[in-house]
Amino acid sequence: MVSTGERKAETSGGAEESRRRTTPRRAAGLVTSTLVPESAGEASSGGEAVPDGRIPLWRAHNGLRILTLLYALVWFVVLVSDYRRPALGTAVLVGMALWTAFTCWRYGKPSGRTNTMVALDQVVTMVLFALCYFVLTERQLDLGLPTVVTVWHASMVTAAAVRWGMPGGAVSGVAAAAANFAMRGYIDPNMWMDTVLHIAIGLLLGLASDTARHSTERLARALRAEAATAERERLARDIHDSVLQVLARVRSRGSQLGGEAAELATLAGEQETALRALVSTGPAESVGGSTDLAAQLRTLDSERVSVSVPATRVELPAASVSALFSVTREALQNVDKHAGPRAHAWVLLEDLGTEVVLSIRDDGPGIPEGRLEQAAADGRMGVARSIRGRVESLGGRITLDTAEGEGTEWEIHLPRGESEHGRSAGGTRGQHGGTTA
Amino acid sequence: MTGSDVSVMVVDDHPIWRDGVARDLTERGFRIGATTGDAVSALRIARTVRPDVVLMDLNLGDTSGVEATRQITQEISGTRVLVLSASGEHGDVLEAVKAGASGYLVKSASVEELVDAIRRTAVGDAVFTAGLAGLVLGEYRRMAVNPDDSEQQPPRLTDRETDVLRQVAKGLTARQIANKLVISHRTVENHVQSTLRKLQLHNRVELARYAIEHGLDRDGTPEE
Repeated sequence: MVSTGERKAETSGGAEESRRRTTPRRAAGLVTSTLVPESAGEASSGGEAVPDGRIPLWRAHNGLRILTLLYALVWFVVLVSDYRRPALGTAVLVGMALWTAFTCWRYGKPSGRTNTMVALDQVVTMVLFALCYFVLTERQLDLGLPTVVTVWHASMVTAAAVRWGMPGGAVSGVAAAAANFAMRGYIDPNMWMDTVLHIAIGLLLGLASDTARHSTERLARALRAEAATAERERLARDIHDSVLQVLARVRSRGSQLGGEAAELATLAGEQETALRALVSTGPAESVGGSTDLAAQLRTLDSERVSVSVPATRVELPAASVSALFSVTREALQNVDKHAGPRAHAWVLLEDLGTEVVLSIRDDGPGIPEGRLEQAAADGRMGVARSIRGRVESLGGRITLDTAEGEGTEWEIHLPRGESEHGRSAGGTRGQHGGTTA
Repeated sequence: MTGSDVSVMVVDDHPIWRDGVARDLTERGFRIGATTGDAVSALRIARTVRPDVVLMDLNLGDTSGVEATRQITQEISGTRVLVLSASGEHGDVLEAVKAGASGYLVKSASVEELVDAIRRTAVGDAVFTAGLAGLVLGEYRRMAVNPDDSEQQPPRLTDRETDVLRQVAKGLTARQIANKLVISHRTVENHVQSTLRKLQLHNRVELARYAIEHGLDRDGTPEE
């Protein structure tokens, strides 16, 4: 069971890592050791691949803090000689400088951007602001001259907005504005403007922070889903390449030998079918609402169904993909029902750029002439009508080609919308040599 | 239906499968030149044994069966490669065919199908499954839209070739296609072969151009 440990280590090492590795050798222990659906989730649950969208906001906050500190320094030099308590003023400025250095250091790292740190930031900034009341003269306050902290005061609002989003930013902005009113003891147009600016900064930056956080989460979710899908497809491929082959071999050889071997062959065949069904779960939706129809159809491949698709992705809106997929499945079930359990079916998907062509053919007895009309008249056209209806509601068209003894062939043409052309691998120069229907 | 004088080499890293296939083929009169489980010794042995047909699995664990296919078909004239793989008909099958394989068969094929495919490969016919036809069709369309930044015009399918490939992809046999398109059985085979040959030629020219541009010697750095 050496392979068990190795494969486990691989899955916990992240999806990226495991994808880079070459397909592991076939191992007899493959199914028992790795066929655990959760492992796909584990492999990708890291999410550290997505950087926090709020990092630039923190950087901007730090920049603003340093810039406003320099601004405060200029006013300090101009006003210091007139201060009531210049020494305390100097102390406030030194406090601001130290606090700026400390917060820039803390906010520079993800571990420093904590609730406690931002709350402490609010308190310290407010205390420094409040001390200005004892630094400035009454006259300076009345004239509306700047306090020692000046606009540096606003950096507590930006910190709160980045950390807590819109509500936090708004509350901090209101607090900053209220402190200003309290200190001056009067209201003038300038102060109204300060108030509006404080609250607006809190709201706007808070909104930016919320948006960044949501898009980070969405991106992380999408990447996780993508990694999980890739992992699941890889597992399915591995199992298809290894265990299923051995089971198929046991089944075919065993039934040739007969007797007890034939019984074992039946058991192997049952396991093969069960395992095939297990690994054939459809891939999840990818980013941007479009998925790969080719990958989805490939899951229908089996002993009796041959699926032919291009090696490139065939991107279509997720809704179209799931509709075409279920139409195909329904058509195949119909083959089972009407063409008998011995009939084979072929699914062909072609991407012509402007349209996608999906053909489903079987080699059953076909439908004799007149039978279709007869069935329609009797109201027994359930499946055909449901398939036709769904294709037409997608904006596609469908033709049925059948004759007695020649099997049945559905051909579905689904035009691509204008917006999807760019995404498709195909182009308008398709080499479609005319339909056979 | 017997193997008559066709010698076969089986390359597959799975012993159960490898020995099973070798036994099936011996029972049906083929000469098994050699069996091996890895690509490196496959090339070495093929050079000395010079089998008519190499049955190549692509999923060899250590090295790629695609590269082995390329080297065998380029170096050893008269030896043809038939890919016998289980890998859900993905890109690697297409790569192997572009690298020079004459055809492809799924492992779930019956012994009779395998015998027939080897016989046809030995005389130089292309062996197509429906899945491979779908991949080749897709590849021609991809090249028409995104020609790999090359001055070389990508090969195109004629309308007739497209028709034939589509029928193959829908599971019709050569005989059924011949009846449907009112052409001879031989013509159908020729069309299928020609689609492969154009693809392989284009691939070789591209690889050579790439090697020259990047200053790689012939058997130097792998091209990917």
